[in-house]
Amino acid sequence: MDIVLYISVGVIAASGLFALCRQLQMLQQSSYYPSRYWGWLKGAIRVRTNLALMGFLLFIGSAWPSTTYNRCVIFVLAALSLIRIKLCFSDRRKSIKKLVFTDRIKRTFVAAAVFLAALITVGILLGESSLDQNSIVNAGFLQYILFTICAFFSFIAPATCLVAWAITYPIEQMGARWYVNDAKKILKNMPDLKVIGVTGSYGKTSTKFILGRILNEKFNVVVTPESFNTPMGVVRTVRDKIQPQTQIFIAEMGAKNKGDIKEICEIADPTIGIITSVGPQHLDTFGNIETITSTKFELADWCQNKNGKVFLNADNEIIKARSANYNSVLYGTTETCDCRAENIVYGPSGLSFNIISGNSEFKVSTKLLGVHNALNITAAAAVALDLGVSCDDIAFAVSQLKPVNHRLEMKSYLGGSTLIDDAYNANPEGCLEAVRILGSFGDMKKIIVTPGLVELGEKEYECNRRLGEEAAIYADIIILVGPKRAVPIAEGVKSRGFNEENLHIVQSFAEARKLFTPMCDNNTVIIFENDLPDNYAG
Amino acid sequence: MKTNVAVFLGCMSVEHEISIISAVQAMHSMDTNKYEIIPIYVTKQGEFLSGDVLKNIEEFKDLAALKEKCHPVSLVKANGRVLMKYLDNKMFKRQMDIEINVGFPIVHGTNCEDGTIQGYLEMLGLPYVGCDVLASALGMDKVIFKTVLTAADVPVLPCVSFTAREFSANHDTIINQIENQIGYPIIIKPANLGSSVGISKVENRAELGEAICLACSFAGKVLAERAVTALREINCSVLGDVDNCEASQLEEPIMTDKILSYDDKYRSGSKGKSSEGSKGMASLSRKLPADLPQSKAEEIKEIAKKAFVAMSGSGVCRIDFIMDTADNDKVYVNEANTIPGSLSFYLWEASGIKYTELLDRLIQLAFKRERNRDNIMFTMDSNILSTKSFGFKGSKN
Repeated sequence: MDIVLYISVGVIAASGLFALCRQLQMLQQSSYYPSRYWGWLKGAIRVRTNLALMGFLLFIGSAWPSTTYNRCVIFVLAALSLIRIKLCFSDRRKSIKKLVFTDRIKRTFVAAAVFLAALITVGILLGESSLDQNSIVNAGFLQYILFTICAFFSFIAPATCLVAWAITYPIEQMGARWYVNDAKKILKNMPDLKVIGVTGSYGKTSTKFILGRILNEKFNVVVTPESFNTPMGVVRTVRDKIQPQTQIFIAEMGAKNKGDIKEICEIADPTIGIITSVGPQHLDTFGNIETITSTKFELADWCQNKNGKVFLNADNEIIKARSANYNSVLYGTTETCDCRAENIVYGPSGLSFNIISGNSEFKVSTKLLGVHNALNITAAAAVALDLGVSCDDIAFAVSQLKPVNHRLEMKSYLGGSTLIDDAYNANPEGCLEAVRILGSFGDMKKIIVTPGLVELGEKEYECNRRLGEEAAIYADIIILVGPKRAVPIAEGVKSRGFNEENLHIVQSFAEARKLFTPMCDNNTVIIFENDLPDNYAG
Repeated sequence: MKTNVAVFLGCMSVEHEISIISAVQAMHSMDTNKYEIIPIYVTKQGEFLSGDVLKNIEEFKDLAALKEKCHPVSLVKANGRVLMKYLDNKMFKRQMDIEINVGFPIVHGTNCEDGTIQGYLEMLGLPYVGCDVLASALGMDKVIFKTVLTAADVPVLPCVSFTAREFSANHDTIINQIENQIGYPIIIKPANLGSSVGISKVENRAELGEAICLACSFAGKVLAERAVTALREINCSVLGDVDNCEASQLEEPIMTDKILSYDDKYRSGSKGKSSEGSKGMASLSRKLPADLPQSKAEEIKEIAKKAFVAMSGSGVCRIDFIMDTADNDKVYVNEANTIPGSLSFYLWEASGIKYTELLDRLIQLAFKRERNRDNIMFTMDSNILSTKSFGFKGSKN
């Protein structure tokens, strides 16, 4: 019995499982696409990765043969692994978008644990067996090989992560297919249910919630929660939320690749579609704008085939150019629209404008910030009018709208300051818009905290530079989180002759907070702009 | 997929049987293409029973046998859904739990119609048909009901009210007060009962004391009000909610006694229990529509709607009026039935709404109320205590 070795390998494997949590978190944030996870991984080589690699090499050199010196080294290695576990805990505390222990994460984690445990168990059994100790391939050497493999996976957590993903993948696929069929069956059993699909590069989550709230005045409505917009998100909503009395189901449909929208349409089977915008979002996965456009229009094609209707944002040139081919209702701010917003007035306390559709014209007011919300509300109103909701009901529902979490959500913050939390915004136009909102806060001190814009392919540099230029106009203090995208933003800021003393570049959100906390008082407005999940904070 | 409607009937109330009649009628008129009816019979002892036999009025003649044919059930909330669980499940004879989408209480009287069952469904988080707890409770206490309507400028007869205990302590004072403030003839009513149980009309002091004692045996609180002698009774049903409601055609019940009595109301044309007679309010003799000038009818309908809104009603309520023909046909709201007998469907059929449609609208109103509630809570679904991401804990630093 080589107790020291067994315990050491066990502790090292345990530390590997703790380290795995961070990897699973990133796998989860990559929507379980190993390619996207790999994309993050490539950029994430840090000091700690090199330390882990050294640990592994040390293990190879000292796990065999079993001399006292070697056992001491292994023991120290195991002790150091305990520090690694401690580090994993503080990692988790500092994360912005934490690992959510969904069933799938649990299954993946268990697969990894079983994998490592199996290596150790077989290793121990071999070592304790009565195999010929003298042959070249003897039991001790075999054990060494198995333990080395186990150590490899323990030290190199991403490898374990990918193995666990590969082990569980077929099971997940089978499960997913069953759920998809179940959701389809539920929808098929409800012939009177009206399904509305909402897609677009930007604005789809807000439009979805606004439409849900308005239609609630007249119908029993189910909306996909939060920003659920994948096929499985739709499936889950159908299975958990749709009830026999449900009359309308609003599904947000997101796309990162061609065919994504069609895939969701095949499940949800919408007859009404809304396309809120087409822009360079996820350009890195799509390749070009043309593919993005045709992907969004998969929804329009679907509705057209079902003799349904599409509601199109005519303020978006790309969408307008395509609209002629469809049985469509155009909404926007121009005269030619079927449903349009006019006399838009906005300020720090909200928006108000007139909605004009056919012969009816009525005024709406909302606490929502941002001119783009006028367009989202107009889209929702166009659909609601089409479904027979009265102007009065629409106006009332609009007056009751509340911002979606982290989307231009105004709240009071540190030291009586005002926070505009726009952390989930990922739309370049929307970001500029949000920055401009600062302009309506008079002579208050204005602070921007942002990591910049991501996932925009080759336009990323350009967009970030423009964000910088805009920030320089409207803000007094600019804090950029993460050095990577700070370069183009800072360039934009400086090009406007901004006082560089007020431009700060920090490594993490935690650091940013340390910086801005003493600046906040009741004459301060602070805005968190754009996506801040861990994936990009670095 | 059909919407599962749990129809509650029976309950521990003196109007137990009347509820059964109303509920069975309703179950036979519900659109079964759209709704799956799940009867839940609350026995006089308060047990919950379910089973298809409950849809048949004949089965109720032998309650012991009926109980044998039903399953004891209980409602529970699990994973955000309300389930009806069978309590007599055996190892190899299990019945599946049934998900309930909406509750439909068709029960009358104290211990149920007065907000009790509404509160129970409210706790379960199940949308339900009809008035909510507040409106139901208001409709059940005639004194508080008068107070609320008076505040809303709805005409009611003024009254003197007192508890049984006060009456026993200050017998003469109270009798004097009633005589002075109201004067004969007088109506004595228990404050908290529906129907006409315990109500009497008195002409002199001797009858007064006796009538109060009778009323006290039905309720802890009693009220006295002027008896309108040259009287016509007019009833009007209101359907909707506070945002939007409409009034039905008016009916005028035909009185066989001084006051529409318990027997009049629910057993007219029958001797006891024959099923022919068990048609509830629908079979009462009445003039429908009531013989009134157009302007008077409109006035009554407006007052009915005003009363419905004042008590924040929902679903269908029947507002009963007293019209004083000796005083210029002046009308007073007499009482409100938050779950009227037979759901006053006959008034709606006379107004052009079929019973099936009425039931459908009632169920949809239940969902509407639920939606309005959800709207108010719309963004509260995140736990404030779990908000660590953009740390309010940072304010300590």
